[in-house]
Amino acid sequence: MSRETAGTADDREPGTDPLLRIEDVRKSYGSEEVLRDVSMTVDRGDVEVLVGPSGSGKSTLLQCINRLTEVDSGRIFLEDLEITAPETDPNEVRGRIGMVFQDINLFTHLTARKNVTLGLEKVRGMDREEARLRADEELDRVGLADQADSYPAQLSGGQKQRVGIARALAMDPELMLFDEPTSALDPELSNEVLAVMEQLVEEGMTMVVVTHEMRFARGGATGITFLDEGEIVERGPPETLFENPDHERTARFFESIRHD
Amino acid sequence: MTDRPDLGWLLTIVAAVAFWGWLLSRWATDWLLAPLGIGPGRGENYLSPAPLEDAAGTFEGTAAAVGPLRVRVDPIATVLDGAALAVEVAPVLADGAWHTIVLTAVSLLLGLAIAVPLAVVRVYGGPFAWFALLYTELIRGTPLLAQLFVLYYGLDLAVWLNDVDVVGRGFVPEYAFWIAIIGFTINGSAYQAEYIRGALESVDEGQLTAARAVGLSKSEGIRYVVLPQTLRYAIPAWTNELVYLIKYSSLAGFITVPELYYRASRIASTTLEYTPVFTLLALVYIGLVLTATDAMGRLERRVAVPGLGGGEGRQQARTEGE
Repeated sequence: MSRETAGTADDREPGTDPLLRIEDVRKSYGSEEVLRDVSMTVDRGDVEVLVGPSGSGKSTLLQCINRLTEVDSGRIFLEDLEITAPETDPNEVRGRIGMVFQDINLFTHLTARKNVTLGLEKVRGMDREEARLRADEELDRVGLADQADSYPAQLSGGQKQRVGIARALAMDPELMLFDEPTSALDPELSNEVLAVMEQLVEEGMTMVVVTHEMRFARGGATGITFLDEGEIVERGPPETLFENPDHERTARFFESIRHD
Repeated sequence: MTDRPDLGWLLTIVAAVAFWGWLLSRWATDWLLAPLGIGPGRGENYLSPAPLEDAAGTFEGTAAAVGPLRVRVDPIATVLDGAALAVEVAPVLADGAWHTIVLTAVSLLLGLAIAVPLAVVRVYGGPFAWFALLYTELIRGTPLLAQLFVLYYGLDLAVWLNDVDVVGRGFVPEYAFWIAIIGFTINGSAYQAEYIRGALESVDEGQLTAARAVGLSKSEGIRYVVLPQTLRYAIPAWTNELVYLIKYSSLAGFITVPELYYRASRIASTTLEYTPVFTLLALVYIGLVLTATDAMGRLERRVAVPGLGGGEGRQQARTEGE
């Protein structure tokens, strides 16, 4: 079970290709410790699912990875780039990491297409026509080519989230972060979003996913990390964590969400 | 659309054409045609008020004659008198309206140019937010008239502006007008900054987070994502500011700017016809305010986005969300 405690650069498995390394990350909001010495490694092509009760620090960890939140101590690397170094430009980090939000956060005043082209034009410096073609490609990839001119208010929740994914994918990220992408959606609308995510898994995208969708975790995840009270309690392949977890807390958690 | 012609709509169109036809033709006469020797000349009436006065006199005379029949023809005489006065003072009011419109429009736009960065600093400026707060509260906490007096009498602006060659020559208004523009711009910027701050704060925080997650810097996120939404939210409040400013601009009369109120009060104090003169003045202000409200309504619909801000946007989102 070397992956269970996998964390620092030293105990990599031979032959692996680490893309994301998190080392001893700590984060507090006031007196409340949200992350305590979290360490883990995600290899290129891996799909790591973070689970845990609300308030366990999953979302904070994701935000630390693209520096929407600054860590108190510890380091995070994307390949050789130290994300958490003060001299690292957060915009460069965010250009290489895509993020999908629980509350979707499409730009309300822009059409689906313009939601995608904004980053391409302003961050990547593409001209308008090039960006438009690229955006239409990405919208097609998530099955929404016909909704390119719709405004967010005219789309269903599932469609909005798929645009959110297209917006992140258009920037050619090396890593995709999903922060509870389906928890604001009805179950039927979740499915279309999960289908797009599963397609990304097949394409070999490296992903870190916070979700309570155990179907996705079973089907697509290469690893599951169970966090509780800011600590990694247990980490391993899906079958092990679901069927035969080492820790009582993990077992109790999976038991509780099974009855939801 | 109904097939029956809508009477209210028709009357609105007639009133709008009459009002703006009068103003535009008057300005054209004064500045474009008068120098060429065409038309009645600068500030001269199109019609003579004399026939109306005569008619009014006739009715007043008749009133005495038909007195025993108790037919009241006095009101007709009053209306004719008012019409004669209107014809008499129309050129002066049109020129005053020009000053009022330019003063309002220029101050509003310059004020907006200051208000947007001010509001952004107030909300996102961190340690500089207090500066924006200080400015806003100082300006909003003191009377506009006092501010104008300080600018006009207290500072050397007048001297300085008088040295500028173009000021007060031909087309370009006197220095007092420019001082009023400065005063209204500063004053309006503080109020507009408050409207925009409110609108900024009503934009969901997640919008900026998402913009930053795409790789935009904070200032790019504010510029391309937050502000376009903010300005749409702010249009109703901005309309309010415009309507206020049209009327507040009358304070410029106290520093001798020849705008509408100044002109009307001068006429009233020489003719002593206070009620009719100020009634005419009120009609001109109402015409300006209604036009401004209508124009802002059009702007709001034009930039409306489903699900965001303006009336149209809200409506579209509601019907299509069902």
